[in-house]
Amino acid sequence: MRKNLKFYIVLYLAKLSRIALKIIGRDATYFPGKLAVTLCPDFLGRIDKPKTIIGVTGTNGKTTVCNMIEDCLKENGYEFIDNHLGSNINSGLASTLIEGATLLGKQKKDLAVFEIDERSAVKIYPYITPTYLVCTNLFRDSLKRNAHTEFISNILTNNIPKETKLILNGDDLIVSGLAPENERVYFGIDRLETDLEKCENIVRDITVCPKCDTKLEYDFVRYNHVGRAHCRKCEFASPKINYEVTNIDFENMKMCVRNEQKEENYDVINNNIINIYNMLATIAVLKEIGLTRNQINSVLKNQKIVDTRYSKEKVKNIEIITQLSKGMNPIACSRAFDYVKKEEGNKAVFILLDDLHEAANSSENIAWHYDTDYEFLNSESIKQILTAGARYLDTYVRLQIADIPKEKIVYGRDEISLVDKLNLEGIDKVFILHDLYSIDLKNQIKKKVEEKILENN
Amino acid sequence: MNKTIEILFPEFCNLYGDISNMKYLQKCIPEANFIETNFGEEPTFIKNDVELIYMGPMTEKMQEKVIEKLKPYKQRIEELIEKNTVFLITGNAIEIFGKYIENEDGSKIEALGIFDIYSKRNMMKRHNSNFIGKYEDIEIVGFKSQFTQSYGNNEENYFSKVEKGIGLNPESILEGIQKNNFIATYLIGPILILNPEFTKKILQKMGIEEPKVAFEQDVKNAYEQRLKELKKL
Repeated sequence: MRKNLKFYIVLYLAKLSRIALKIIGRDATYFPGKLAVTLCPDFLGRIDKPKTIIGVTGTNGKTTVCNMIEDCLKENGYEFIDNHLGSNINSGLASTLIEGATLLGKQKKDLAVFEIDERSAVKIYPYITPTYLVCTNLFRDSLKRNAHTEFISNILTNNIPKETKLILNGDDLIVSGLAPENERVYFGIDRLETDLEKCENIVRDITVCPKCDTKLEYDFVRYNHVGRAHCRKCEFASPKINYEVTNIDFENMKMCVRNEQKEENYDVINNNIINIYNMLATIAVLKEIGLTRNQINSVLKNQKIVDTRYSKEKVKNIEIITQLSKGMNPIACSRAFDYVKKEEGNKAVFILLDDLHEAANSSENIAWHYDTDYEFLNSESIKQILTAGARYLDTYVRLQIADIPKEKIVYGRDEISLVDKLNLEGIDKVFILHDLYSIDLKNQIKKKVEEKILENN
Repeated sequence: MNKTIEILFPEFCNLYGDISNMKYLQKCIPEANFIETNFGEEPTFIKNDVELIYMGPMTEKMQEKVIEKLKPYKQRIEELIEKNTVFLITGNAIEIFGKYIENEDGSKIEALGIFDIYSKRNMMKRHNSNFIGKYEDIEIVGFKSQFTQSYGNNEENYFSKVEKGIGLNPESILEGIQKNNFIATYLIGPILILNPEFTKKILQKMGIEEPKVAFEQDVKNAYEQRLKELKKL
């Protein structure tokens, strides 16, 4: 797509707006791009792009994978542009490209790392051709926006450019079926001791063979539709994995990754399987662009998951663990509930999953709570569940439908004062599960829990 | 006599947490017999009478398969509607029972044609809204989230009259379809949990004289809170 006069005018306006916003100390990661795509809808097609673009899409893990890729590239001396401070929709990518461009619209750097919202495929891929596109997983997400996985996988398949090499989660049968004509490699984790014969989750979005509609036989189920399966009637099966974790040593926090008959050991930074998938996706894409095991591992082993997503702190003899559990995202919350259930010791859990915007302005659609496995919280080792926020009456009912005894549940509208009702007797770990936009609330509750533990002693 | 509830194609017709309606019903009437009919199986209602037939929302591709699956049984479904069998049909499952579903390119998928409505898809424009509607003497609360809008005449057989939100489409004030005990609504999610008095009415229609719902007081508290919030919007 050629640059025309309108493009240059819009580029200069966007650049000026960026400077103006910076001068007045405002965030300049959104508006310049928004302005550009509003005034010139095909702006993304007209502006030059870096020669190599790494895109990361999928329901969960996009931000974490991008952060790890960027850290590895930075530490190894690569120069690149990225949208980690801005949004992952078309206007966010436009802002990044505007910032990275000269006044002639040429890119100053040859490499880009873009987190790409899967729902925005229609507005991005006609104009941007990622050299590599990682897809972490595809699950039910905000039903108001993303509807269902068939809708999202269709828009991805219909819009991903043919030239893009895909780096796909081969343990996710929805992801592995994306854009079947494209060149691809798969990453996956071989069968683990904790894998199951039958699905324990409410939601499983692929149960029949996409080729012949016969019921799929799962060789093992990890969670939801993640696992490996085959069709009894036709040749359809989970793909052969190119980057495969063959062994995880949780005691020593190491994992072995096999690629083309060669096995390499990597450090594991966290025992949550979700983070191992995120690390593996990062390793696969970086190996594809030519980084070595040492270049990758030397950075990954020092990674810390940001406090807004996960934190662990010991106060006296009690651990306080905060875990991001994105609201309206049933699989993310189910994974968090499963994590709590499987952690050792006696536990108390705060659940703060309300969408604060909806709480202030509307009445949140709570349907997603019924796609979420609250049943995982019905565990002998979970002694108390504290639920608060605008939807506290709804979550109180939801917990009861999961057969959790009433006497274990504490509920109330005010989140902070709920800490007063926390019973620390015999408790080894206090979990605070919170939405992405409830960080302040999480911090306040964490502080009050700390104080309560100290007072108790 | 034990009541029998048939859940149609739960492995597919389960979007938006709707299957929780049946889990809740199990808690309300634990002695009832719940049959989950998978897509590859012949529905029980074809040869046997059941007290309730439930079908929830599904993907667009699945709608086409379900229409083909149910087409041979159209006459039986009409017969059951005449015999006052209770049907609860939620989300876009309502479209299966209309005349046709139209795609953006104008192509049409012929549906069962039991009711005089038709639906139009717009996959790039998802409609979301909250809902309050009058059903008999109660106010129904709920949510809509859909790619389609429906058109046609439901004046004689609507499910509820809109107080907040939309009916079959944004211009309509009549939501869903009710004929005898056949109830179809675009509302999604746990509508039986959200509406305890409506759940009692469903149980009554199934022949339960003094219906009781599970966790009654807690469910009522949540209902009243939501009704208050939605009225304020």
